[in-house]
Amino acid sequence: MSAPLKCALLALNSVGYQSLALGYLRAYAQADRRLAGKVGFQTLDLTVDMDPWWVAWRVLGLEPDVLAVSVTCWNARAVFDVCRIVGRVRPECVIVLGGPEVGPIAAETMTANPSVHAVVRGEGEAAFADLLHAFATGGKAWRVDGVTAIKGDEIVSAPDRALIADLDSIPSPYLTGTMPLIDGGSYLETYRGCPHRCAYCFEGKGYGRIRSFSDVRIAAEIEMLAAAPTIRSFSFIDPVFNLTADRIAMFAAVLAPLAEKGLRLHTVEVDIERIDDESAELLRVAGVASVETGPQTIGAAALEICHRPFHADRFARGIASLRRQGIQVECDLILGLPGDDVFDFLAGLRAVLSLDPGMIQSSTLRVLPGTELWERASEIGLSFDPEPPHEVIATSTATFRDLRRAEVMAVAYQNEYRARL
Amino acid sequence: MLTFVPVSLGEGRAVTCERCHGGSPTPVYRDSAQIAGDIETAVRSGAAAPGPNIELTGPEPFGHPELPAIVGMAVRSGVSRLRLHTDASAFVVPANAAGSVAAGVRHVRFSVFGGTPGVHDVLVACPGALAETLEGVRSYVAAAATQEALVHVSALVPVCRHNVRDLPAVVATATGAGAAAVLLRVEDGGLDLRAAIEWVTAACDTGTVNGVRVEVEGVPPCLMPDHVLHLADVVRARAGAKAPACAECALDCVCGGGPAGAAADTLAALRAPADAGALAGRMRVARGMAPS
Repeated sequence: MSAPLKCALLALNSVGYQSLALGYLRAYAQADRRLAGKVGFQTLDLTVDMDPWWVAWRVLGLEPDVLAVSVTCWNARAVFDVCRIVGRVRPECVIVLGGPEVGPIAAETMTANPSVHAVVRGEGEAAFADLLHAFATGGKAWRVDGVTAIKGDEIVSAPDRALIADLDSIPSPYLTGTMPLIDGGSYLETYRGCPHRCAYCFEGKGYGRIRSFSDVRIAAEIEMLAAAPTIRSFSFIDPVFNLTADRIAMFAAVLAPLAEKGLRLHTVEVDIERIDDESAELLRVAGVASVETGPQTIGAAALEICHRPFHADRFARGIASLRRQGIQVECDLILGLPGDDVFDFLAGLRAVLSLDPGMIQSSTLRVLPGTELWERASEIGLSFDPEPPHEVIATSTATFRDLRRAEVMAVAYQNEYRARL
Repeated sequence: MLTFVPVSLGEGRAVTCERCHGGSPTPVYRDSAQIAGDIETAVRSGAAAPGPNIELTGPEPFGHPELPAIVGMAVRSGVSRLRLHTDASAFVVPANAAGSVAAGVRHVRFSVFGGTPGVHDVLVACPGALAETLEGVRSYVAAAATQEALVHVSALVPVCRHNVRDLPAVVATATGAGAAAVLLRVEDGGLDLRAAIEWVTAACDTGTVNGVRVEVEGVPPCLMPDHVLHLADVVRARAGAKAPACAECALDCVCGGGPAGAAADTLAALRAPADAGALAGRMRVARGMAPS
């Protein structure tokens, strides 16, 4: 009997965080009976500020047969460096990438990074397990649905893979002990998909319709986190926490007893135009300390291009309701959206400031692979950096210099606002 | 975008250009009870959110014998942001810096005239003044870091014919000391604005490449149409700040005009750019004004 494949799972995260994606991949693969005894796993949850050479040092120390890396626009440059170094030192190691930065442009990624052997496209759990099975049994990677891989001298994409219908079939990384619990750095996912179709975002387009984990599964994960003596706060990564009134009521019921003991939720994303006094109170009861929301822009042309609604009165009402409950609101704005000029952006900043939400965060548009803006960039006059994180360089309505000026202004205004008693 | 209501501590200014104004008069401080009344009025005035925010202005605040009590009153009255306008030299004493942060001073605006002692110290007629100011700013920033308090430091550069060529250097120096924003306020009515523009815009660009916001007051948008993002959005109705022709200019609604008492030659030479209407419309959008 041959030795099990050694699979290293690598993520380069923001400081203080760990990769939920790797947790899912590992929990799913470990539960796959076909892989039992054939594949062993080790997870390297490192930070994006690490020198890629030292990341490679850590990876190579594991002597992996397979290196699987989760790639986002934020860590892509570092990941590609790591892959190049690992590929040179250990050419027998099969390097597999996945994640939103590479899935939509799998073949291009592999062409630009010859050390990469395969890319998992879209939802990764089932495809990655099948891919490992192929590696362990001498199968062909390019035949695995949802995978783009090398076939001889070619790069071949197998058909797309259907989404997992029953999310509960993915074992919980927390309940299985696959992921450690980190105070403030642990977060839960209760559904996949997004009700919105914002042109700059991959979330809705990548995952299609909304699929939920069961209430029982969600409650079990919450209770496990709450029972950990080191956990005082955690978060949810759902794109819209207040998806329905029923969900808020469910969360309030589950979380209220825990909130009374001091457990807090931070930075959950909400559709603020659906927040009224009643739902704001439920969020407070659930222990929500802070929420994150748009508007991203208030410019009419940009809203239309990006398919985003914005009703100033409802937005203001939502913020006021949350503030009355003592919940801090972080309002996000995006600079450089098509249709906006810098004056529109500043108008948005002014409008948000006037509502005194507690926190304002602006960022420059990143034109992400797989998004509508990526596909329509030429048509709508978006010029962006082809290298990740794909920051916008200029638009048909905002010059390069004005965008850079507005970036500086936005940061200055945010800091001036944050300095308060 | 944040509005600070000025509350005067008395007669006089923290720092002045000696060449423009001659010797600085001896400051005359107001009674703390009067100041407290003004603070209460400012807090209740309901100025535009977010706030209320007040700035203690006038003569050097650290010269007021009751400054700690005044700061305490402001904090108790419910201000969100309290700004001191100072020459910052008092912060050289660590206890002043630490005490100010602890008392609730989260915003400091310091005046600076030049990027080097050769300009600043000469104009304020005080050898060593620039070094003290910069050391004071650094001390305040360090005290805030020690106390993990978020603070905001800005520099005010009164622009006159004596320092206009030094503006890029002033911005760089203020930035190096810890300023997150710089306000260039043209105060010299005799300044040749057209000749000054290249220095003003160079100072704006110096700020941008150093990640610092530079705002300009006292220059009409028609003189720096490529840099209108840097214009302060306060439109002041100051006597003599605009030419008669400006009343028919599309930019008038967003124009702060020139400095008060601007030379007639300068104002008479102002001409709206060809796209003044469109530019005015966009500037109105950015300032949250109703469409014209």
